[in-house]
Amino acid sequence: MRRLWLAVAALAAGFVPALARAQEFVKVEGAPRQEMPAAPFVAAAYSVIWVLVLAYVIVLARGIARVRKEAAELRARLDREAPPGRPRAAS
Amino acid sequence: MRSVSPGLLLTALLAAAGFVLVPQLIVAAPQEPVMGFVQKIFYFHVPCASLLFLSTFACAAGSIAYLFKGSEAGDRLAVSSAELAVLFGACTLITGPLWGRKAWGVWWQWDARLTSSLLLELMMVAYLLARRYAGPAGRKLSAALALFAAIDVPLVYKSVDIWRTVHPRTTVVPTLDARMRPAFWSAFALMILLWSVLLAVRLRLERARAELAALRIDVEDLTESAA
Repeated sequence: MRRLWLAVAALAAGFVPALARAQEFVKVEGAPRQEMPAAPFVAAAYSVIWVLVLAYVIVLARGIARVRKEAAELRARLDREAPPGRPRAAS
Repeated sequence: MRSVSPGLLLTALLAAAGFVLVPQLIVAAPQEPVMGFVQKIFYFHVPCASLLFLSTFACAAGSIAYLFKGSEAGDRLAVSSAELAVLFGACTLITGPLWGRKAWGVWWQWDARLTSSLLLELMMVAYLLARRYAGPAGRKLSAALALFAAIDVPLVYKSVDIWRTVHPRTTVVPTLDARMRPAFWSAFALMILLWSVLLAVRLRLERARAELAALRIDVEDLTESAA
């Protein structure tokens, strides 16, 4: 039991000053500051938005063109090959 | 060549006019005294984040219509909105770190707002992946996923008020300097217009795909009847 108390006391002796030091706030004077120009960040942010939107618009336009082309081909095939009594493909 | 609806054309024209006017308003708006010029990212970052939320809610609404009523139109709205959610989520998650690097000194912090936003984006990516690769059950699986994503939206929004984060709180927009409001709200309106145009075009693509699928069935029927 005595050993346990000694161990606790030793731990406390080391821990309490460390805790006290951790609570202190010491302002650092004269530390080097990292100065970064803001303009590249703003320009990059705006560019990213418009590039992503433009890329999406291109993907959409290509998708619509591909679907329309295939649909036109299928309609033409239906009109060409459908028997006389069968309704024609809707355009 | 198919005709373009007047409403879509007008919206596209307004959006195009916005691309010219809004940057001028943003440049004319006063600089924020603490962050300086980099705060200008705010005028597009916040609308992009709002559109991520709006797209997620639209996706969830469409998914509910599809899950409970079997609505094909709801399903088309859901997939179109999910793509827009991923698009505007990517814009938010790229512009945010660009702002943060200058304002906070770090690109990323695993705090509540940033992490929950990333999770929302990943959920919407998962929606699209499940839809594409999960086989016949993919549409229902992704629709269920959209509901979880919609539940995440209020959590993302309120996270800055609930937990301590480095991200600005939800009070920023309501207490915005009166001289910054025209630039912010015009940028917001521009992004809403852009979102509307993109959604309309994406829905048109989805309808065209549905027509194409019907045509393929007709051709298959014709081939079988001829054989």
